[in-house]
Amino acid sequence: METSFALTGKGYVIVAADTTAIRSIVKMQIDQDKIKELSPHLLMAYSGEPGDTVQFAEYVERNIRLYQIRNLYPLRPAAAASWIRRSIAETLRTRNAYSVNLLLGGYDTSSHTPNLYWIDYMGTVVEVPFAAHGYGSYFALSLLDRYHDPEASLEEGLATLKRCIDEVSKRLVVDPGKYKVKVVDKDGIREVEI
Amino acid sequence: MIMPDMDSLAHPQERRFNPYTENGGTILAIAGADFSVIAGDTRQSEGYSIQTRYAPKVFRLTDRAVLAVNGFAADGNMFVKKVKQRLEWYHHAHAKDMPLRAIARLIQTMLYARRFFPYYVYNILGGIEEDGTGAVYSFDPVGSYEREACRAAGAAQSLVQPFLDNQIYFKNQEAAQGTSHPSHLPLETVLSIVIDSFTSATERHIEVGDGLEIFIALSKGRTLQGMESIRGLQELTVTEDGERLFVMRRDLKKD
Amino acid sequence: MNSILQRYSGSNAGGLSKSTIDEDNDFSDAMWGSEAGFGTLAKGVPGFVVPSVPDPAAFLRLHTDDHADPSCRIKIQHGTTTLAFRFQGGVIVAVDSRATAGSYVASGTVKKVIEINPYLLGTMAGGAADCQYWETYLGMHCRLHELRNRERISVSAASKYLSNLVYSYKGMGLSMGTMICGWDKTGPAVFYVDSDGTRLKGDLFSVGSGSTFAYGVLDQGYRWDLTDEEAQELGRRSIYAAGHRDAFSGNTCNLYHVKEDGWKFIGNYDITKLHYEGPGDVAGSPGHGYGYDMRVEGRSSANPPEAPAQA
Repeated sequence: METSFALTGKGYVIVAADTTAIRSIVKMQIDQDKIKELSPHLLMAYSGEPGDTVQFAEYVERNIRLYQIRNLYPLRPAAAASWIRRSIAETLRTRNAYSVNLLLGGYDTSSHTPNLYWIDYMGTVVEVPFAAHGYGSYFALSLLDRYHDPEASLEEGLATLKRCIDEVSKRLVVDPGKYKVKVVDKDGIREVEI
Repeated sequence: MIMPDMDSLAHPQERRFNPYTENGGTILAIAGADFSVIAGDTRQSEGYSIQTRYAPKVFRLTDRAVLAVNGFAADGNMFVKKVKQRLEWYHHAHAKDMPLRAIARLIQTMLYARRFFPYYVYNILGGIEEDGTGAVYSFDPVGSYEREACRAAGAAQSLVQPFLDNQIYFKNQEAAQGTSHPSHLPLETVLSIVIDSFTSATERHIEVGDGLEIFIALSKGRTLQGMESIRGLQELTVTEDGERLFVMRRDLKKD
Repeated sequence: MNSILQRYSGSNAGGLSKSTIDEDNDFSDAMWGSEAGFGTLAKGVPGFVVPSVPDPAAFLRLHTDDHADPSCRIKIQHGTTTLAFRFQGGVIVAVDSRATAGSYVASGTVKKVIEINPYLLGTMAGGAADCQYWETYLGMHCRLHELRNRERISVSAASKYLSNLVYSYKGMGLSMGTMICGWDKTGPAVFYVDSDGTRLKGDLFSVGSGSTFAYGVLDQGYRWDLTDEEAQELGRRSIYAAGHRDAFSGNTCNLYHVKEDGWKFIGNYDITKLHYEGPGDVAGSPGHGYGYDMRVEGRSSANPPEAPAQA
């Protein structure tokens, strides 16, 4: 029942992911952070096969960090999305592929635009104004079609996110529980409470 | 001791009851304002073998109702036989032909009576309603039905229906400035669309071909309007002063 | 379950062609004439032919279940979005019009709202024939109830009748998910009935492959005190959302409104048109297309720093 959402607004991207770790029918943890802070202006929510998720996320995190150390400037969101896609696509064609779905949200400090990339475990990348993974997407995508506004203020954006979270807890058989919500904008990354 | 050729009896055997096959072919019907055209090819096949080049799939029910059946030929023929029987009984009881919309409902209940052992047939009923309008009813194998202006069914359904959507409903066509698409087409145009549909389906589908039978039901008082001399036309009307029914037979490629 | 099989398959389950012989002997006198219109009701529940095999339901599944086996011969039409909700001004019923067989769009003009009588509507999801047939049959019995009791049947009773009826065929392979909607002495009412035998009373339901997408829009816009115009717009907008996001739903939206004096057909809306142009000049229309790109046209999430004021 893993669910993650992300949406852009005027100058920011909000990334949200549920905080439950499930094994079989058991909740193993209820405060897991499934959103990695890859660089000062880049967030990545990950979900999918247990084990693969954290391994892959840490691999990405280290490599993005390495790029910054070597070049003294971080990768822009579009370039990071391309590199991550390639990593997934290459391991997909081996015997031990990572089954990880991602939402990559970043703020491009050069073009002053928020960027959001929807990436699945097959290596599909698409740049979108809003995105969701997991069962929650079946309820949230139509809602976001209806309510998402690219020029929304952060408060309005969070209100739309709240609609998604409320709708999923209302209709999905198993409520994903609490969410961790992070925002990236020109000032960097911060966590917000909703 | 078990004999070698008795081996098959020594083991439990799984048998599946499979009373269905697919006999190919395509049917189609188009309703006009005061006429209805119902057509089907005459090839009957199973797998890659052609069983016969002339097995009718379109049948006259009354002077104003024609039924086309497609799918499993044996089920189709049985079904048409039973529909005709019920219509004859109706005629004896009421001294008139059953109206088209009633035949449509009858076909629904007859198909649904076999809900748990379906007739593997797709039916299209065409004809003239009591108000004189041309009508087409299409059915699924277990009896859900809908009145439409045109419908293709059978092997080449997915080839023919998009063509009909474009030429009859003018789907994805923009009318020229200051004009609008006609809601009903004249008989002459409809006939050429039907013939083109089948010649094209014959070219691109291996189960379609050999012969083409086109039934034309005309509303009361309407004439062929100069199309009397059209090649291969034959009148089937039984009663006078009512609706008129014609059949037109054409060849299709036989390879 | 077995009692039903026995009732319909005759005593010798081993005989291969017994059932087809039965069928010929099964003609009632009703089939010869009309019996004043009561012919089909004379015998109670209509009879069904069942193949003489040990497990008729498995036989049916083998030949008709295109979910488990796409190569099966008899394609029963599937795929739908339907919704109905109760509010201050009555009941709104909205449905799409697409029928699919596998990935082929078998029809784009299906009537998924079944007009049982002037006060009752039923919706169609699952097997098209199952819904059409049994809801028509339900309509006949609702009329008989009126004649016998000199009053209209309640929505609750009508839905219970349907529920009991399909429950008696449980396990035989019927497939229907329907909402029975209407207005009776108790006011507006919506009941969800399906072929498992579930029957639920509620304010708001959506059924079909696109239901989750419809719920997403519907739940967020729903209030009891919606005006008629707002409610109709919400129904239309929710079906659009499902048509847009679910590949098995689409083509057009049919909208009905049930009030105290019975149901009224509000309109048929092309979903592509709703996307680009909106519903046109109707009550509750937003005046533009429902599509995301239409709605946010010209809006941008970029925030270039404001040019420093010239000193």
